[in-house]
Amino acid sequence: MSHSVELDGIGMRFGRTQAVSGVSFTVQPGEFFSILGPSGCGKTTILRMIAGFIQPTEGRVLIGDRDMAGLGPNQRPTAMIFQSLALFPLMPVWENIAFGLEARGMGRAERRKRADDLLHLIALEGYGDRMPGELSGGQRQRVAIARALAVEPGVLLLDEPLSALDLKLRQHMRAELRSLQKRTGVTFIYITHDQSEALAMSDRVAVMSAGVLQQTATPRQLYDNPATPFVARFVGETNAIAGRVSAVGDGMARVDTALGPLHGRAQGAVAIGQAATLYVRPEALMPGVGANTLRARVGRMDFEGAFALIHGQFADGAALTAAVPSTRLADAPAPGTDASFSFAPEHAVVLADA
Amino acid sequence: MTPDRIFRGLFVLYLLAFVAYLFMPLIIMGAAAFNTSRFPTVIPWQGTTLDWFSAMWADAAMWRALWTSAIVAFFVVLVALPVGTAAALVLTTLHSRARSFAYAVMVSPLLTPGVVIGISTLILWRQVGIGGGIALIVVAQTTFIICYVMLMVMARLQRFDRTQEEAALGLGASRLMVFRRVLLPFLRPALLASGGLAILQSVENYNTTLFVRGFETPLTVFIATKVRTGLTPAVNALALVIIAVTVIGAVAYEIARRRQLSARPRS
Repeated sequence: MSHSVELDGIGMRFGRTQAVSGVSFTVQPGEFFSILGPSGCGKTTILRMIAGFIQPTEGRVLIGDRDMAGLGPNQRPTAMIFQSLALFPLMPVWENIAFGLEARGMGRAERRKRADDLLHLIALEGYGDRMPGELSGGQRQRVAIARALAVEPGVLLLDEPLSALDLKLRQHMRAELRSLQKRTGVTFIYITHDQSEALAMSDRVAVMSAGVLQQTATPRQLYDNPATPFVARFVGETNAIAGRVSAVGDGMARVDTALGPLHGRAQGAVAIGQAATLYVRPEALMPGVGANTLRARVGRMDFEGAFALIHGQFADGAALTAAVPSTRLADAPAPGTDASFSFAPEHAVVLADA
Repeated sequence: MTPDRIFRGLFVLYLLAFVAYLFMPLIIMGAAAFNTSRFPTVIPWQGTTLDWFSAMWADAAMWRALWTSAIVAFFVVLVALPVGTAAALVLTTLHSRARSFAYAVMVSPLLTPGVVIGISTLILWRQVGIGGGIALIVVAQTTFIICYVMLMVMARLQRFDRTQEEAALGLGASRLMVFRRVLLPFLRPALLASGGLAILQSVENYNTTLFVRGFETPLTVFIATKVRTGLTPAVNALALVIIAVTVIGAVAYEIARRRQLSARPRS
């Protein structure tokens, strides 16, 4: 039984610090929802308000359409997975997993059976009598997930649970978490500062900065249609070229920049005369002349396998990054030369400066 | 001889002197238990005997004193462990100034001379008509033994990962269950250690106990009285037995601990 989660203008003030202000979004039942933002942006505070460890100073938290005001963490249909996992080190694995069932007064034999079922689900059969200290990082991770799932929560809250793992394991656990979420159908709210993690796993992502919600959208929308300058810079790599809007029409805008007039899709309110920035992704830049052409001095080239990243410098000193597919490296300009790069207007976004 | 070797020689000499300083009194005291002399001494050695052990065994007054001490120690542990643990839990949740004030108040009995604790306990309880006796010995000793328990439990609590508490609450556990299933098992080593320390502190205490004992005679008071009425090596025999029991207990604990560690290899 999975639940929706609705945040209605919640804010959190610690003394004189406003950690979170006016955040509203609705998570659908069964959705994999991520909250993405740099550390200190208030995302963990939001998660702790949903879990009930802290009460918001403004606004309401509704889980399954029920107002959670005044309810403690042990009275909410949520379960949380902590960054440190917080397994109980002095209890064998099966007792860890069955802890929530013990709290609900289930008998020992049945608890053991349920724990064994969950151990099967996370592919750790026969590990029930081990101690958490005897498991590897990835195994401990899975035990923490099983412990949270054991109580059949309507909402599972995950606070950067993969950040302690090495890269390889992290990628593996991403896929595993994702498939586990699909199999169980539980609503996942996932906190991370790692944008590739958020983009790869989530149905939708909320981007936070300095306690304020920037944008809630699907990963694809976030990447292609960032709503604020922060999102444009934070999600993925981008080239930001500042200027002033000189023409608007038909969803497009022209920005006069130090590199000449450039065209891109207008995003949000963009008016003539306004200070604005054009954002274009490295992979949208192609060597050669086109509709929007930029000239730059080519510097270092980093070969990354599928792509090669070409680092250049514009005449005004600003940096340029272009990602050229390895299959088209023959067209790439040589380091040290002046070269042209172009991009299609529909691959660039124009946002008014904040 | 190089200066280095001279230094090493001096160092070894110092080490021997230091160890001798620590253990000579105990060795002489223990050896005196086997001397036939009527006084506890090793010089002159009048002959080797085990008579003092049987004298000790037959000394009914000594056994009564030991029993009194055991009862006192039992109740001291019974009171000091929960109260000291509760104090430690409260202190770790307090913040900054309230915490240092409460800490200073809680630790002050350790800095108060034992004699003062004994006398003031006696005076206070006289007001309500309760005189010296086992109950008052327990009360007086607990006053400062609680501090040891509190300090040891606090030291352990500082290493407690608070998110475990949150994890348990988040899984639906009540406060009581968090305490019983998560916190208490974590505190177990500190509770065992401070329980042991409480017993030792209680049994060996003399200066506080003396004032509140009423008509009771715990072991320390018994031995002190003997000094006046004529100390025999039977007391040395008793001391030797106590030392032996302590050492055997410590060794057995260490062996059990190592066995448990090797049975459960950490990854």
